[in-house]
Amino acid sequence: MRGCDRNSAVSRALRFGVVLLLCAETAQAESTPIPHGTLEVIAENQWIAAGHNFYLGLHFELEQGWHIYWVNPGDSGEPPRVEWQLPAGLSAGATEWPAPRRLETSSIVDFGYEDQVTLMVPMHAEASLAAQQPVRLGAQVKVLVCREMCIPGKAQVSLTLPVKSQSPAPDSRTEAARTMDLFTATRKSLPRPAPGNWTFRVADTKDSFVLTANLGHQITGHPITQAIFFPLAESQIDNAAPQKFLAVAAGFQLTLRKSNQLLKPIERLKGVLVFSTDRAYVIDAPVSRPGAAKSS
Amino acid sequence: MTNMKRSILYPTVIVLVLCAAPLLISAAKIGEAAPEFSAAASNGKTLRLSDYHGKYVVLEWHNNGCPYVGKQYKSGNMQRMQKQWTGQGVVWFTILSSAPGKQGYVTASEENDYLAKMQAAPTAALLDSTGEIGHLYDAKTSPQMVVINPQGVVIYDGAIDDKPTTDLNDVPGATNYVSLALEQAMAGKQVATPATRPYGCSVKY
Repeated sequence: MRGCDRNSAVSRALRFGVVLLLCAETAQAESTPIPHGTLEVIAENQWIAAGHNFYLGLHFELEQGWHIYWVNPGDSGEPPRVEWQLPAGLSAGATEWPAPRRLETSSIVDFGYEDQVTLMVPMHAEASLAAQQPVRLGAQVKVLVCREMCIPGKAQVSLTLPVKSQSPAPDSRTEAARTMDLFTATRKSLPRPAPGNWTFRVADTKDSFVLTANLGHQITGHPITQAIFFPLAESQIDNAAPQKFLAVAAGFQLTLRKSNQLLKPIERLKGVLVFSTDRAYVIDAPVSRPGAAKSS
Repeated sequence: MTNMKRSILYPTVIVLVLCAAPLLISAAKIGEAAPEFSAAASNGKTLRLSDYHGKYVVLEWHNNGCPYVGKQYKSGNMQRMQKQWTGQGVVWFTILSSAPGKQGYVTASEENDYLAKMQAAPTAALLDSTGEIGHLYDAKTSPQMVVINPQGVVIYDGAIDDKPTTDLNDVPGATNYVSLALEQAMAGKQVATPATRPYGCSVKY
């Protein structure tokens, strides 16, 4: 009996130890806590190849109801800020932000993400980067997580990748399937350049910007029945104002109320047009003042 | 009969007028007259904006649970500004527009305890739990700031500074739009940056 007890105690201790080891093993690659969510850094390739570009992702998972912000946060909040800690020979490019959502509260509208989002970061490995020891890619991320209230968080995340001379390939290991799915889904949600035959122009009227989109023949297959504009710059449009959508020949018109903070005319209106979750386009449209053009 | 009809009709008319009112009143705009308001202050007085005609007035939207407000108070920056400007004759109203039950809602005595604890020095803290003043000025965030000149015209509306973060370390290097607006206006100059995005936490109406 006693022996049996001791055995079970030992096996229990062993099992506990194994669990601990497993936790320690996965903790390095797993997520770091942020207020009401987690953050992890993921890589698309299994290794870094000198002279090649590759993508990292900052993957945020949030508790229900909580959100983080797009590059232009809208009326309140602020976007996540990332400070990379990279070894010599590696550099990070500009973050690629998936299309945001309008997050409406009683009187204001923010732009951001709920549930989960992956911010994609293009990385460049210089040709001089020698195949060496695995390198550690670290990032300090400051992120504001909000629901009714906002909680600022700071997280240190990192990832270790080997450096090889072979060309990089997407990580095909079974354990990387989830990561690959995240990159695939994120690519679909990234705003794309608008097709070459689409044109956008903006008329500056007294209180509004009227964005006219001419989509040529593109709309025949997938008629566009709604569009939401997200401005890249703050203080151009009134974020909380409804955006009036009007279908016109070969496209649509979107009326965007001007921001009270906009005191000077703007030359161009830049931002993202979202038709549906996986149909978002980057636009950069010239702004004309019909009245001013006539008088000159 | 007519009397009865009237007594039924009147409340309906009043309700309609009340509902329409927030839509009819336009929010504060740069270069335009600051909307009049009166409110109960935490010190027990009832204050009216028009009583301060002839003075510069600063409006500060406040929520003690908001980390952006916390940055300004924990660093002592907001209190420094309050002391500096009220010392030069500026009237400073801290405005509390959180609804009861929401973050930042306080009673008069809670606010007085907070002001004492933080060594804050506004002219008064206005209790606006109905959100009336907040909506009148279209206050979106805390700490949104508004500056009104002695003629009663809005000359600044927006953020406190150019560092939209919750980091205390960002206070010393920031360009303070409120102090700049006051300095420029008092020197007889045009306010160079009269409007910015009022960063921070949403006002908890």
